[in-house]
Amino acid sequence: MGLRSFFDRIEPNFEKGGKYEKYFPVYEMVESLLYTPKTVTKAAPHARSFVDMKRIMTYVVIATIPCILMALYNTGLQTNTALTALGEGSQTGWRVAVMQALGFSLEPGLVSNMVHGFLYFVPIYLTTLIVGGLWEVLFATVRGHEVNEGFLVTSMLYVLIVPASTPLWQVALGISFGVVLGKEVFGGTGKNFLNPALTGRAFLYFAYPANMSGDSIWTPVDGFSGATALGVSAAEGVQSLAGYGITWWDAFFGTIQGSLGETSALAAMIGLAFLLITRIANWRLVVGCMGGMIGFSLLLNLIGSDSNPMFAMPWYWHFVLGGYAFGLAFMVTEPVSASHTNLGRYIYGALIGFMVVMIRVINPAFPEGMMLAILFANIFAPLIDYFVVRANISRRAKRNV
Amino acid sequence: MSEQEPNTEPKGALGRFLAASPDSPGKTIIVAVVLCLFCSMVVATAAVNLRPIQEANKLKDKQVNILQVAGKYEPGVDIAEAFAAFEPRIVELESGTFTDEFDAASFDDRAAASDPALSISLSDDPAGIGRQTKYATVYLLNDDAGNLDKVILPIYGYGLWSTLYGFIALEENGNDIFGLQFYEHAETPGLGAEVDNPRWKAMWNGKKLRDESGELQITVAKGTGHEDHHIDALAGATLTSVGVDNLVRFWMGEAGFAPFLESLKEGEL
Amino acid sequence: MAQTRKELLVDPLVDNNPITLQVLGICSALAVTSSLQVALVMTLAVTFVTAFASFFISILRNQIPNSIRIIVQMVIIASLVILVDQVLKAYAFQVSKTLSVFVGLIITNCIVMGRAEAFAMKNPPVASFIDGIGNGLGYGLILILVGIIRELFGSGSLLGFTILPTVNNGGWYVPNGMLLLPPSAFFIIGLLIWGFRTWKPAQVEEREYKIQSAEAH
Repeated sequence: MGLRSFFDRIEPNFEKGGKYEKYFPVYEMVESLLYTPKTVTKAAPHARSFVDMKRIMTYVVIATIPCILMALYNTGLQTNTALTALGEGSQTGWRVAVMQALGFSLEPGLVSNMVHGFLYFVPIYLTTLIVGGLWEVLFATVRGHEVNEGFLVTSMLYVLIVPASTPLWQVALGISFGVVLGKEVFGGTGKNFLNPALTGRAFLYFAYPANMSGDSIWTPVDGFSGATALGVSAAEGVQSLAGYGITWWDAFFGTIQGSLGETSALAAMIGLAFLLITRIANWRLVVGCMGGMIGFSLLLNLIGSDSNPMFAMPWYWHFVLGGYAFGLAFMVTEPVSASHTNLGRYIYGALIGFMVVMIRVINPAFPEGMMLAILFANIFAPLIDYFVVRANISRRAKRNV
Repeated sequence: MSEQEPNTEPKGALGRFLAASPDSPGKTIIVAVVLCLFCSMVVATAAVNLRPIQEANKLKDKQVNILQVAGKYEPGVDIAEAFAAFEPRIVELESGTFTDEFDAASFDDRAAASDPALSISLSDDPAGIGRQTKYATVYLLNDDAGNLDKVILPIYGYGLWSTLYGFIALEENGNDIFGLQFYEHAETPGLGAEVDNPRWKAMWNGKKLRDESGELQITVAKGTGHEDHHIDALAGATLTSVGVDNLVRFWMGEAGFAPFLESLKEGEL
Repeated sequence: MAQTRKELLVDPLVDNNPITLQVLGICSALAVTSSLQVALVMTLAVTFVTAFASFFISILRNQIPNSIRIIVQMVIIASLVILVDQVLKAYAFQVSKTLSVFVGLIITNCIVMGRAEAFAMKNPPVASFIDGIGNGLGYGLILILVGIIRELFGSGSLLGFTILPTVNNGGWYVPNGMLLLPPSAFFIIGLLIWGFRTWKPAQVEEREYKIQSAEAH
């Protein structure tokens, strides 16, 4: 193995006392990306498991693959459909030029959709990786710890929840905010109480609302306007979606307007199933989140409202629209920022389910609530754990009298 | 404490008082009373002496807004002098005629809107204002020849977070819009608060309220519409735009100033 | 006196800053920093009130009955604040409209009360006066820094003059809308505290806990 021996040869330079001691994190990052980390626990107690940080993070990235594929397909589909609808004059930009140069048609079709979506996905993903990666390496170098694989997950999730038309400098600012203020300020991976990808997305949402909400930003074609299904429901009620050609199955498969990778409930559910089977996601969080959402939306259905059509939206629509399914699969189940006690996990999940319906239905300003609901519950997670532990202590103390 | 206690006996009543322990009940009460009296006098003096300047400021602020919406404001202009060209009149909304029942200079529209005797409770309330005043102060601007040039009408209604208060300036025909300006609101900075953006306000200039058949056509909406009646909505501020649309249509409609504008057009006033 | 007058004035600017070290007065720092102008006016108002409140309370310190001393301090502070409010309404109407209730809320600003109780009650009038000015300016320094950042990047201008022409006005700069919202001051103050503590490590508090590392055994 030439590469292995190359690493072994240069490694002493990066260790303590070596020439490039300062750059150990960079070396370590490259090495552990290619090989299994060599670090082993030296002190007792030993717990033996095949699961380490690298494996967990790799599994999560694998779980996002269906969403990535849907992101490529749907972005291309929406773009190609809009281009076809608007006709010749709208076919501008380098992506169109690349498509034509490579001989792909701009008509909606499986291959042309995937390729066109790919051309939107890659610049955003590369920007995220480079800018976020620089921050990771900078902090790791200054603090002398290793860059870990958590960032691969953060960057992938972040890319999947931004709209395809986001300018790249905004992508860069958002991931910077997410990595620095959502994670590194608190000490890095494992110490963050907020989900860094969502923190970055929330920053963009409040900083550049004109690029992050509205009708004209979901499909990256100038002059094309298409409201999200949630936007339509908020304005006219869920039954009017049919008039826009959106059925429940469209929303389930994900061929609707929305951020890059969060439109497809199906893809998110495949990812979630993978995470549940590999035991990375805790099923209690999922149960809590579904329960909270279904319970509260049924209650609102019952109450009803003359002026607010969102009251009547049934839970199975809440499930497929917006970022609910994606957030449920990848954000709610994220172990670091969720509650850590079993009872706490039900409560934490239910709080998110409740808040997402609350924000979607009752807040007039925000049609989508998953991002804010999860961040809100992130902040409450330690408090929930605290009370669960206290309750347990007092229960056991009583039993012991 | 580094300070040395003076060795001499305190002299006189004041000296004895100052030297007494501050924690005795008598001294506690006296200190409290004297301090409160003194402070209240200072505050009262300041409030009374500054009141006229403050009142003048408030009035000036309102006048500046009216001048701005009528396009008569320039930095450095003498506000009171420029405002003298405007004639405030009270309009009875229902009949659309002027009334001299109240003094136009001191009539307070906003107080009237919550006064049960001067307002009505709305059942059909698109502008989200709850109660509507029966009388409103309008400002007439005459040109140098003494002919009516512009009329400035007060409008208000609910946006996303707050009630927007403003003025709309119409040309003498009561149909062409000259300008629109809000002077008080609490919409989201950067989004809804862009109602204050000069470029957005400039779009109102030259629009027409009604089409030739007299239908109220003015709309604030996304995208494009009839060039005479369509104002593009604020980017990213759907609900504020809807609010502005509702309040303009409400005040220009039958429940608002439509009867007044009708009589204005026919020259009955 | 342990501190010279110069120290009284300069210490609260960085080394003992009321906002970044003592974390006082945060509420108004969020509300009045959306533009530089209001931050400046607020700085002046708070400095005035803190200085004179400390001064008068220090003069009266040996006469103030202990049982009602907080009330006495409040009365003096409140009177000064009302005075400032009235003067602003008379001579700076537009600014006082933007500041709205926050001038009145100087009464509840912990910095004013804190200096009165902690310093002016134990020190002579001139030292208290200088201490008040120092703390008011320390508070103002942060306000102004936050105000500059928020106005420059939130609306592309400083003191109302356009520095970065914004897209809505035909320029190139896309303003950061979050900076116009009060919570953004939390982030900025947090980053300032981070910066101050990196610059002056003495300000870092001791940890309340310690994470055990596996290798340490």
